Amino acid sequence: MNVALLSESPADEAALRLLVEAVLQRPIRRIEPALRARGWPNVAQVLPAILRHLHFNTDAHALVVVVDADDSVVHAADHDRPGYFHPRCRMCQLRAVFRQTTKKLPAARGRERVLRGVGVAVPAIEAWYLAGRDPEVTELAWTEGQQRGRLPYTRAQLKYRVYGTDRPTLPHEIDCALREIRRHHGDVRRIEHDHPGFASLARDLRGWFPGPVAFEGQSGKVPVTDIKI
Amino acid sequence: MIASVAFQRFKALRNAQLVLGPFNLVIGPNGSGKTSLIEALLRLRLLAKLPLRSVVAETERTLEGPEITFRFSPPFDGLEARLSCVSDQVCDLLQVAPRPKGEGSNDWPGLRSRVLRIRGYVLDHHAIAAPAVAKEGAELNASAGNLAAVLATRQAHHPAAFDRLVADFTRIAPEFTEIGTELGEDGRVRFRLRLKEEDTWIEPDNVSQGTLYLLAMITLAHDPDPPSIVCIEEIDRGIHPRMLREVRDVLYRLSYPAAFGETRTPVQLIATTHSPYLLDLFCEHPEEVVISAKHGATATFSRLTDRPDITEMLAESPLGDMWYSGVLGGVPENE
Repeated sequence: MNVALLSESPADEAALRLLVEAVLQRPIRRIEPALRARGWPNVAQVLPAILRHLHFNTDAHALVVVVDADDSVVHAADHDRPGYFHPRCRMCQLRAVFRQTTKKLPAARGRERVLRGVGVAVPAIEAWYLAGRDPEVTELAWTEGQQRGRLPYTRAQLKYRVYGTDRPTLPHEIDCALREIRRHHGDVRRIEHDHPGFASLARDLRGWFPGPVAFEGQSGKVPVTDIKI
Repeated sequence: MIASVAFQRFKALRNAQLVLGPFNLVIGPNGSGKTSLIEALLRLRLLAKLPLRSVVAETERTLEGPEITFRFSPPFDGLEARLSCVSDQVCDLLQVAPRPKGEGSNDWPGLRSRVLRIRGYVLDHHAIAAPAVAKEGAELNASAGNLAAVLATRQAHHPAAFDRLVADFTRIAPEFTEIGTELGEDGRVRFRLRLKEEDTWIEPDNVSQGTLYLLAMITLAHDPDPPSIVCIEEIDRGIHPRMLREVRDVLYRLSYPAAFGETRTPVQLIATTHSPYLLDLFCEHPEEVVISAKHGATATFSRLTDRPDITEMLAESPLGDMWYSGVLGGVPENE
């Protein structure tokens, strides 16, 4: 499956590739590995152009976009009701950009549209890396902290917990990110449970296939030829 | 090492103060005092080479001339250094006086040895690419014009440090696999880089400017005995925006050695840039950003973290975009 990844750093991209392959239970062929965004709101600003480019100029089946929530409104179940859109929720905003951009594009290169995969790490992707290692770090803990007006941890603290320094080099960041993702041995249920922003991404990815995508050791894998495009 | 600098009537810095941290990225429009700040530090080093003059009474000084006051961090916070003028034309008076409190009030020799190790760099790719006199390889000079000699000296006397330098460089610039040096019969050293794909050597005058600047900065960052203070102008020059993260990390190695598993004394760093992309990389450490602003003919400094609303602002937009927009200050004035 040809998948393009869009995030904010090479470390995020390396981890994201492992996560996507873990959810899909198959390797992906990465398209346009040079895509990169400069953080929020730049991701949302460049996304329409990237979607158009992938649609018309590449064989990408899908685009996966992951951003940090930072201090934005965290996506909640009630945001998913039909026709609803929270203007300060990054998940809602990215989905809207996908929707509005792809619906304007005519079919090209044998497919109607580039499939969507959107994830929002709350408050930062380091929270995903800590899943299963630090039980205090969950999306629920963050949203409850937001409601109380007292956050359980800062983004800087999360980074320190993952990298052991507040100024990691890029190679160190990549090593740590990959180490933490590999700790799950391809079973990402814990990350999905603790981080609904990742579970949303996983649902998008599984939605690319008509049948269920099984976890490793379970049946239900579908052949690549069944990809909905 | 330098805790603060206060300027009076020094070029555009008519009345400006700046508290310095371990790492200081200075942004601002042209002519807003960025280079003057560096110049002040280099002037302090220059005058510290001379024997210290006894305290000159105010009546014997030109009070209308420029004056720059330096304060220092422990163990030298008991001293204050002041640069001023003895006449309209001669501004070479350095006075060092004890402060009411603080350590090292009688240790000018100790402080002086650190001041003498202040270095300023304006990298020049033509100079970097040129052969260098072999015996001048002890430390990188202001243009990095002796890079070849420094590399050869490093390779000969600090092979482990040289290997780390090469490893860092070839990781950041993976099109190269090796750095080679060669001593010519003229007593000059040349360096060259081995290309990965063609397995051939390439001369530095065929290497991109940005790659040469990067190599010079990496060489500085892996110096086993680095300067006490490093001032570098335009650290983003010639370098692709996506590579700026590596530039930042290379320089962080100087200022935060512990974060890189090194035990040496941290180097205080003052760097300037005009790149919003580089500035983006400091959103997690806004305390490291200094804004120089120009109002008419007068320039001032402020820390990004002096703004009470900086946390809220950082949540809204990349730092570079905010700077460009003008909300942070440090942009050219409109007519």
